[in-house]
Amino acid sequence: MMIWSIAWKNLWRNRKRSLVVIVAVTIGIISGVLLVGIMEGWINQRLHDAIYNEVSHVQIHNKEYLKNEEIDLTIKNYDQLTNGIDSLKELAGRVNRTRIFAMANTPWANTGVIIYGVDPEKERQVTEIYKKIVPGGGRYPDKQSPADILISDKTAGLLKLKQYIITDGVIAKLKEERIRADILAKLEKHKDKRFRSPGDFREMLKQEFNKRELDKAGRLITEYALDYRLRNKIQVTFSDLRGTPVQGIFRVCGIYKTTNTGFDQTAVFVNAGELAKLYGGGEILNHEISILLKNIDDAGVVRDKLSRIADGNAVMTWKELAPDAALMHDFMIIYYFIFIGIIMLALAFGIINTMLMSILERTKELGMLMAIGMNRRRIFQMIMLETVFLTLVGAVAGMFSGWIITEILGKTGIHFSGWGEGFEAMGFAAKVYPVVSFGFFVFVTAMVVATAIISSLWPARKALRLNPLEALRTD
Amino acid sequence: MKILELKNVNKIYNSTEVKVHAVNNVSLDFEEAEFAAIVGPSGSGKTTLLNLIGGLDMPTSGEIIIDGTNLAELKPSQLIDFRLNNIGFVFQSYNLVPVLTARENVEFIMTLQKWPKQKKDERTLELLTAVGLGDRINSRPAKLSGGQQQRVAVARALASRPKFVLADEPTANLDSRAATNLLEIMKKLNQEERITFIFSTHDPRVVKMAHRIITLEDGKVVSDDNRE
Ligand SMILES: Nc1ncnc2c1ncn2[C@@H]1O[C@H](COP(=O)(O)OP(=O)(O)OP(=O)(O)O)[C@@H](O)[C@H]1O
Ligand SMILES: [Mg+2]
Repeated sequence: MMIWSIAWKNLWRNRKRSLVVIVAVTIGIISGVLLVGIMEGWINQRLHDAIYNEVSHVQIHNKEYLKNEEIDLTIKNYDQLTNGIDSLKELAGRVNRTRIFAMANTPWANTGVIIYGVDPEKERQVTEIYKKIVPGGGRYPDKQSPADILISDKTAGLLKLKQYIITDGVIAKLKEERIRADILAKLEKHKDKRFRSPGDFREMLKQEFNKRELDKAGRLITEYALDYRLRNKIQVTFSDLRGTPVQGIFRVCGIYKTTNTGFDQTAVFVNAGELAKLYGGGEILNHEISILLKNIDDAGVVRDKLSRIADGNAVMTWKELAPDAALMHDFMIIYYFIFIGIIMLALAFGIINTMLMSILERTKELGMLMAIGMNRRRIFQMIMLETVFLTLVGAVAGMFSGWIITEILGKTGIHFSGWGEGFEAMGFAAKVYPVVSFGFFVFVTAMVVATAIISSLWPARKALRLNPLEALRTD
Repeated sequence: MKILELKNVNKIYNSTEVKVHAVNNVSLDFEEAEFAAIVGPSGSGKTTLLNLIGGLDMPTSGEIIIDGTNLAELKPSQLIDFRLNNIGFVFQSYNLVPVLTARENVEFIMTLQKWPKQKKDERTLELLTAVGLGDRINSRPAKLSGGQQQRVAVARALASRPKFVLADEPTANLDSRAATNLLEIMKKLNQEERITFIFSTHDPRVVKMAHRIITLEDGKVVSDDNRE
């Protein structure tokens, strides 16, 4: 029977009161775990997408190109540099790209784009764009059809290549999804009519259906009726090596969509060889080398190694290329502190209050304990342990439930449908898969214990100021 | 052997408008294995005197020497440990920790003194059997009668083999049968363990059982009868 065992027993003297605090701590920790889980899920997703869709681990450009982005500012000493890269033991894959600013036109609209001239097969080793083809969005480019161009859903919208059409097939699919017959009947009226923009289609839906019906079925109807104008021609215009505007025609082979609308809005992909025919000179221009490593942590080392042989080129890591993702990644620990700190601060008040009450009730008993020889250090220990137990019980329950919930949500994902578009504009997926790391649980445990100890100081000090004579007073 | 010595002890309370001379120039000696009652009318200073002897309160003047140690020379923190190792206490009420069983309450003192487990268990059982609670060792205080609780308190007070046990009106909340029973147990243990008991009381039947009766009036010792 030690001090800690008495402390544990004291915890259950006022079962109801202790349980209230424990439940509060549990709920607090669950929300903390969830919040951080969502945050971490997002950051991991953004980090993954930034690296695997956009910037890889390390990229190399001509220093001048970074400033002016002109077509003739290609990577210097390309062969020597690539030899160096290929001998890196950290290397997982590398690609080179042509990167040209251009204007893209369809007969109905135009928009500014960045054309990436790539080797589509090689790209698969470094980027995951090939996995991002939307349903009904055609296919990834290949070398057999050299005029292929892969554009994003966003660009398709801007170029008015996103159309809507209600076919028999669409109605059949909706029927399978158990959409009500009266809704389908209303759709029949618009069968085989082509809506040339998302706006037109939405207009029709609004006229035909009330809000309740739209909430229920609107998303599915829009999804199934969507009809990209694949195989449509896109004309691109840019300045060739002599500064003369040149034009080329590509055919839309596929539509991709990443989580970052900002990236999607400009990036289009074509065969590098096909692009080279347009700007002349007979050679493929290399503006960008993108390098994927086996381990993200090696990015800094690899940059330093390559910088030594880079002359005239700039070697940058993902941290410089996607500073938003890097910043969030580096600040994760700060988010931990903010979320858990606020929760702990709120809980500290409840804990202090409960412990003060508990001590007030035990004035005589504590006085008696001091009288018979329990010294201050032990009294202090006992009160502190009681507080720590009180907090820890709730924290363990909270961490366990929080962990279970995040595990489940980590599989199913949480859809932030209402805000999805806003998030995607910032590069975040509308659907998030929360994750929490083991390190976070260690962190929460440390914070909980720290909170408990700090919260116990006041009650424990109050207990110490008691006079043992209290025990003898017979009022 | 002299275990406790009071030399010209005074306690004056100035806190109220009137000055109260609660203990007035008391000088007393106690030997090993005494069984002494402190009696006197209400307000005569019994509680105050016991608190001074127990190191729970400080005299205004005079010296209290326990087994050669002058209490005035101890720092507050040392005083608590001194109490732990030298003085047993039985209070009128709130004696026991409600969340602990009878056995755990008795063990508590020895745990604070870091006794080895086996010796602790032996002593606990010995004492609880001696106070007639050998069959109730795992009961919590709430499950025990007032008399039984006071017996546990006596067992606890003796657990650490103190120099003496102080008991301020230990029978005040008990009916007369339980009171006599408690006193009999105290007396028996006083003989067996050869530990001095000093207790205050109003109860004439309890007074009868004492070997030595110290009478206080207005803080002064007016008589000190040794009936052996
Ligand atoms: N803390 C205090 N402050 C001021 N006066 C006190 C204090 N404690 C006791 N007194 C006074 O000291 C005197 C002695 O009190 P004490 O409690 O020692 O008497 P007692 O003999 O124990 O009485 P009782 O039989 O009623 O328990 C009383 O006049 C009391 O009012
Ligand atoms: Mg009294």
